[in-house]
Amino acid sequence: MDNEAFTVPASTFTERPEDYELKIYLPGIGKGDADLRMEGRTLTLKTSAKHQNPAGFRQVAAEFELANYAMSVDLPEMADPATLAAKLENGLMTVTVKKRAETQARKIEIG
Amino acid sequence: MNTIMNIDPWSFLDDLLGTSSRAFRTMRARAAGRFPPVNVFLDDNAVLIDLELPGRTAKDVELTLEPEAVVIADKPAAEEGKEPARPAWSRRLDLPFRVDSAKANAKFTDGILRIELPKAETTGVKRITIQG
Repeated sequence: MDNEAFTVPASTFTERPEDYELKIYLPGIGKGDADLRMEGRTLTLKTSAKHQNPAGFRQVAAEFELANYAMSVDLPEMADPATLAAKLENGLMTVTVKKRAETQARKIEIG
Repeated sequence: MNTIMNIDPWSFLDDLLGTSSRAFRTMRARAAGRFPPVNVFLDDNAVLIDLELPGRTAKDVELTLEPEAVVIADKPAAEEGKEPARPAWSRRLDLPFRVDSAKANAKFTDGILRIELPKAETTGVKRITIQG
């Protein structure tokens, strides 16, 4: 649907010595509900869960909305898209991508 | 990688305004994302509470049921040889009726915790037969 509403999920991006880690918070989203694509250096996520509030109940407090999420992120130059791995557990998606070997710091032996 | 920040950037407000009221602290804790948002649903027989807790599982949360309230708190991981850490957050929700604690249940699905609390059949009013 063209006019479907999406929310940008909360996320953290961490650089580690050998790789990058992207954590995306997707409460209410199961494995089958998320679509993750890599195009060039751009990672795109879209979710399509069929959320429903319980039928027959009236809502008396509403502090969050069960949304469909969408976001895209450009990976750093140093990342190697071929090594990208993702898992979704308990509504938290963890994406890791290794740095390209030639960009990693190495110790140089002095002869 | 630990990205948790324990410093409260708004603590100067307490000194400035003398506002250490619960409402203020609650507002700030929410703004800092320190406790999870809830949705609450009611019908005549039960109350349903949904909490947004992505990445958490049953072992990370502690639920305590009082006759007319439920307390939901984070459960810090126990470290050997250390005193148990204080929960990072806790929320107490008052309930509109007495609930049947024996029928209460809670379940995690994809980072959302749903607590289902059926209404107690008796309202706590008990008729006492006078003897003799």
